[in-house]
Amino acid sequence: MSFLPLAADAVAGAATPADFMAARQQMAFTLGFHIILASIGIGLPAITLLAEWRSLRTGDTVYAELARRWMKAAGVLFAVGAVSGTVLSFEMGTLWPGFMDKYGQVFGAAFALEGIAFFIEAIFMGIYLYGWDRLSPKAHFVTGIPVVIAGLLSASFVVTVNSWMNQPRGFKLVDGRVTDVDPLAAMFNPATPVQAMHLILASLMVCGFLVASVYAVALLRDRRAGRVDRYNRLGFAVPFSLGAACAPLQVLVGDWASRFVADNQPAKFAAMEGIEHTQAGVPFRFAVFEIPNALSLMLKFDAHATLRGMDAIPADQRPPAEVVKIAFEVMIVAGMFLLALAAWWAFSWWRARRGAADLPWRGWFLRAATVAGVAAAVAMEAGWTVTEVGRQPWIVYGVMRTEEAVNPNPGLRFGLYVVLVVYAVLAAATVSVLRRMRRRPGSPSPLAEPEKVGT
Amino acid sequence: MSYPDVALGLILLGLSAYLLFGGADFGAGLWHLVSRRRSDQRVIEHAMGPLWEANHVWLIFVMVMTWTAFPPVFADIMSAHWVPLSLAALGIVARGSTFVFAKAAPDQPWHAPIFGISSVLTPYCFGAVATVVATGGGTWLSPAGLYGGLLTTALCAYLAAVYLIWDARRLGDAEVILRFRGYAMMSGVATGLLALPGAVTFGVHSPLMALSAAAGLASLFLVHHQRLLAVRVTGALAVVTVLWGAAGMAGLDLDRHAAHDAVLQVVFAALGVGALILVPSMVWLFVLFQRGPSRTAS
Repeated sequence: MSFLPLAADAVAGAATPADFMAARQQMAFTLGFHIILASIGIGLPAITLLAEWRSLRTGDTVYAELARRWMKAAGVLFAVGAVSGTVLSFEMGTLWPGFMDKYGQVFGAAFALEGIAFFIEAIFMGIYLYGWDRLSPKAHFVTGIPVVIAGLLSASFVVTVNSWMNQPRGFKLVDGRVTDVDPLAAMFNPATPVQAMHLILASLMVCGFLVASVYAVALLRDRRAGRVDRYNRLGFAVPFSLGAACAPLQVLVGDWASRFVADNQPAKFAAMEGIEHTQAGVPFRFAVFEIPNALSLMLKFDAHATLRGMDAIPADQRPPAEVVKIAFEVMIVAGMFLLALAAWWAFSWWRARRGAADLPWRGWFLRAATVAGVAAAVAMEAGWTVTEVGRQPWIVYGVMRTEEAVNPNPGLRFGLYVVLVVYAVLAAATVSVLRRMRRRPGSPSPLAEPEKVGT
Repeated sequence: MSYPDVALGLILLGLSAYLLFGGADFGAGLWHLVSRRRSDQRVIEHAMGPLWEANHVWLIFVMVMTWTAFPPVFADIMSAHWVPLSLAALGIVARGSTFVFAKAAPDQPWHAPIFGISSVLTPYCFGAVATVVATGGGTWLSPAGLYGGLLTTALCAYLAAVYLIWDARRLGDAEVILRFRGYAMMSGVATGLLALPGAVTFGVHSPLMALSAAAGLASLFLVHHQRLLAVRVTGALAVVTVLWGAAGMAGLDLDRHAAHDAVLQVVFAALGVGALILVPSMVWLFVLFQRGPSRTAS
């Protein structure tokens, strides 16, 4: 297979367990890092456009100021996301050459499409950023729409590769060789719709709640100082509303996703729900709670339905069940917390519209909202862990084991150490730069004077 | 022409674009590091892309095309040379982020040195790997790798100096123009002296090498006579012919490693449709970028 004599020599050995674990950790870490930036890359343009749309509709300059600031931040985060994404495409080869060698052509077309969508997103982001003072307000708003659409498309194309790893389609294996490749069948595998929707909603939630949490901190500070600053209130309301609108949809899509996994990846589902033995009338267990027959009822609408447990899976094909179960529970808890906050916000909004009360600018709501950004990010990472760790020991479900894919060359763990250091510095620098870019707390904005509240 | 041939042609085109545009960006970073003069650095900062390092798109294109069209080739190169390629990737991270950070928060003193050092590290590593792959063996630390790394870095520096004379003139500083002309002549002579013995040692008998040398000499003449537009063409030709010559040496058995035609069809169709959207929007961005602000605030 190898065409280089050097590579042929190196392939003779296999990766040590330490190097194999390091490769998995490096992939998990760099992907986990990138996924947050990618979420912001999808969500922030959407939030910016919402704010700009409000500014066009109402002529409110505070919305325009928010839109400008968010798009500037989006520009910086986009650049960091672009390089952290580049690292991932290197890692596909430096960490998982066996995977690329055999299956690169099956899912490669999806990456070509993703690259095109990404480039369109980048170009229109440039047009949008440079167009502020060069295009008419309406035309400028319209140039933002391709940024959002291309961002959603590029995320969807990338997800098709992961959903393919969970539900490989579009090829045949004849004597260990890949033939009859149908790249479109690979891309539109059965897991694609549910995974793409789950990830896009998660991205919008992460970005919405994360941006809102920054303004929640500012609003708490305003409260202590007895100030009312419309800039901070709208800066909170727009992204939080987006996150809150996605939260109930995400619960429905999440339910669909777990039913899909139950039908198609029984090992992953048994790990998620902690089903050890195949049995009828499986109870729903969550942390220390247990409801008899509930899981069978929820999944099959039959309290006595039989569900496959981990003991039905051959021992060498079981994922690390404990990690998957904990990650799944963390995701559910964080998701329910966000759903509750969203309901609180919606209820207050409904009452405010009827003139009964103001929006909840109270301490407890804001304190909870401060945590919402981190909670959404944690939920996303936990959900990603369920998907990826739950697929183990397979890199391509049922077809290729992860050990077969790893780079056999020695020393991968040193790569992990270097990557950890570089990314820690990168994360710290990104946060520090974003903090420098923000408006100084409480300072009057050039466009809108905050109203002072008398004591 | 078969589908794999078209794919290889596209990969070579992407590599050439990455060398000519991305390479010039790396070289500009090198001059930013080397020249301590603020006036030089301002020209360099002005010349580089507005938002993020768009020229890495060429690299992504080359990688995606390679792993889709020739999966085993991609897997072998990436796994055998994972150390220099990981360093190159981290260099891209360091460069890309310090580049945008320096624009967003200009008062940080540590952005510039990291930017400069990573601008040298990345092309060095790429050049070392490319040379080892082309000459068929060894690691990036072998003499061939060392030589290829140095040569590629020199090519980038030369390209950047040639391009930057033009930018210096746009900013209208006679002294800076003079200095960048000096850099271009110096690095041109050095790169030529580095490239020729290599071509002889590795036994490159391609007419491309003669073309490269001729274009290099013509560039020296054109720089001397301040033909700044013409020298951009000859300078680029002198550099890109080195890449083509090296690619000719590699002699990869691509047909045996090529992906199925069904895959390549989808990829080519996607690229065609993509180009229909990408090219006009790029032109629009460029036009906007050249135009001054027409209204003050929204």
